[in-house]
Amino acid sequence: MKTKKISIWLVVAAAALMLAAPGSSMAGEVYKTALSLAITGPTSDAGNPYSKGAEDYFRYVNDMNLLGDDTIECTIRDDKYETAITKRNFEEFLDMGIVFYLNYSTGSTLALKRDFDEVKMPTLPASFHAGNIEGSDYIFLPIASYSAQNIGLAEYVVDHHEGGTPKVAMYVHPSAFGREPVKDIEKAIEAGLDIELVETVEHGQDLDVTAMIQRWRSKGVEYVISQTVQSPVATMLKGAGNLGQVAESFGEEGKMTFLGAHYTGGNDLIALAGDAAENFYWTTSYIVTSEPGAGAEAQLELAQRYGRDEKTSNSHNYANGIMVAQVTTEVIRRAKARGNEINKENLYQELLEMNGMNAFYPVTTVGPVTYSKDDHQGVDTLQLYVVRDGAFRAEGKPFISEYAEKIK
Amino acid sequence: MMSANRWMATGNYFTAYRQEQRIFATHTDRLMFALFLVVLFSWPYFIELSTKHMLVIDNILIAVIAVYGLNLVTGFAGQISVGHAAFMGVGAYTVASVAGVIGDQHVLITHAWPLMILLSGLMGAAMGLIVGLPALRLRHLYLLMATLSFQLIFQWIIGSMELFNQGQFMYVGRVHWFSGEVGRSQHYMFWYYALLVTVVVSGLGVRNILRTRYGRSLVAVRDNDRAADAMGMHPGLTKVFAFGLAGFFAGMAGALQAYLNRGAGFETFTLHESIQYLAMTIVGGLGQLTGCIFGPAAIRILDLQVESLAQWAGGILPSSLDLATGLRPLSFGLVIVLFLIFEPRGIANWWRIIRSYIKLWPFRY
Repeated sequence: MKTKKISIWLVVAAAALMLAAPGSSMAGEVYKTALSLAITGPTSDAGNPYSKGAEDYFRYVNDMNLLGDDTIECTIRDDKYETAITKRNFEEFLDMGIVFYLNYSTGSTLALKRDFDEVKMPTLPASFHAGNIEGSDYIFLPIASYSAQNIGLAEYVVDHHEGGTPKVAMYVHPSAFGREPVKDIEKAIEAGLDIELVETVEHGQDLDVTAMIQRWRSKGVEYVISQTVQSPVATMLKGAGNLGQVAESFGEEGKMTFLGAHYTGGNDLIALAGDAAENFYWTTSYIVTSEPGAGAEAQLELAQRYGRDEKTSNSHNYANGIMVAQVTTEVIRRAKARGNEINKENLYQELLEMNGMNAFYPVTTVGPVTYSKDDHQGVDTLQLYVVRDGAFRAEGKPFISEYAEKIK
Repeated sequence: MMSANRWMATGNYFTAYRQEQRIFATHTDRLMFALFLVVLFSWPYFIELSTKHMLVIDNILIAVIAVYGLNLVTGFAGQISVGHAAFMGVGAYTVASVAGVIGDQHVLITHAWPLMILLSGLMGAAMGLIVGLPALRLRHLYLLMATLSFQLIFQWIIGSMELFNQGQFMYVGRVHWFSGEVGRSQHYMFWYYALLVTVVVSGLGVRNILRTRYGRSLVAVRDNDRAADAMGMHPGLTKVFAFGLAGFFAGMAGALQAYLNRGAGFETFTLHESIQYLAMTIVGGLGQLTGCIFGPAAIRILDLQVESLAQWAGGILPSSLDLATGLRPLSFGLVIVLFLIFEPRGIANWWRIIRSYIKLWPFRY
């Protein structure tokens, strides 16, 4: 009798195991990725929406089963814009067994460059500093470098300026992030870009720019290209506005036309500078929600789905975060489609093959993402926007900087 | 005349200054210290820590070496300095700029690293002696302004000069040991031991300095520089000497940090960091050698806890509020103020109370 009871229990246990077995295989794989960025502290105005963009897109991928039963687990940590914390976070992520990494600042990307190469970790930073990819096999810029953006703006000035060589001043962040594009603009000038670089100003935290604007005026500066973040640009625009020096149309004689690269613009600039932001020219590779289109709709729908506020929903840095999550998802999807194991090496190979017919077209960028062994800049295409009636409007067609290619 | 039993604290009395100046008052103290060292050197063989936590421990040990210096100038000599991170930066950039000039894989960087660390300490000391010169004429807030100026000048120089890559990260190669190159998998453990040896040797060094006439003159000048002057000491030179010592330890700490992080970037040596080292010194205990260990450990652990709290707050609060950004400076400020009000002698005093309780147990006093 006792033996019979045990046999029944064994049969029940075996049946339970058989039922459980398919269930566990259907649960799918979990692919670990991570993002370390400034959610609080300096530059968190950009980092906060960026983190939400990445978080929301990964949630969307999992909720909509875009990878079938497999899911992406992206651990997001705040590094407060401190390299020491980023390093600590990265070491923790490695212990967790991540297969793809998203980083943030220029400083930490440069500091960890050798670590990324040593552990062969494909990495997408939020910094578009050209120096990030110099001598690195594993760092990939999401979009055109700051240098390409600034040179692109200078090219636009040359193409649309009337009469003689345009006089340009540069207003840059006092760091590698700000300085490097100046060197590249100088190289472009040597290569034939027809602008006169009158002066380069590394800004501090001054709240009054009267002397600077007056000096530029006396030197005949016609265009100011900014490579920094929004708040100093807002201060500059307000100061120039108070002195009546902001051009009301591109290249207006006797006044200055202000232009800037990715992190100078966006809705935060309009919020900070108010009316003084009118006629500010800005370039990025992302779509903006003030220009109707499929990308804007998709971005707003994603934000709405996960209950984001209006500011976050309309931020170009939210689009920035979405984009890196899209690339991460895409390389995983492609590796899966090939039947390859999802690991660092295979995802790296997928990035290298993302070109030509295999280029990736995210809906939130103005051009395709292309990477190869020699090309570590994702979206090369730039779009120029200009502030009209308190909103950024597209100006002309998307373009690729000609001189950025020439000086490579 | 000494007590018959050198193992007991009770009944010990001294008949010569030399006896009073002993590093270990009893054999028990010496034994406990030896056991403590055995634990510190052997725990990695029994407990496996994550890389993240090894990095945190390594950073605490670096801060301990830096705080040795700051405590000498602030705690023992009574001179205020808010440029300590810049002194560390001098050390870090000594290694990094040499690596930049001769190549970061040069044998001097990779094999002669103890020499480079010592050289960085000497560079820090030289800078300390220069920055300490105003102490010949300045005191209190005026001296604070002088050290603050040094901090700002350091940041400006690093951020502007090509030699220092204009503040961009400068790489330092992996070091070699008897077993060959210290690879990534052994990196943090290797530096744990290197740092531990430096902490112990430096700690004994500081303890010995304090036993000498030079060390005792630091305390005398702090307590009353006019009285010290009347007794034949030179208060000005004593203060400059204190800055030199502070610079030496900071320089070594900076070089060690450069080796640990495999390079130097200017954001590790900002005014904010200087204030953190000052907080470590105050929380640990000004003028207490044990405080140099407690302070950095407490502040670094607090840092981790606040980080978790800020992350949690950042997740539930609207981004526009950005309260989480304020949590860190708020918590540091609060900790410093609370320590200054309720325990100005720092955590070292808690340690003193615990030790005396254990020594006297079962008696209360």
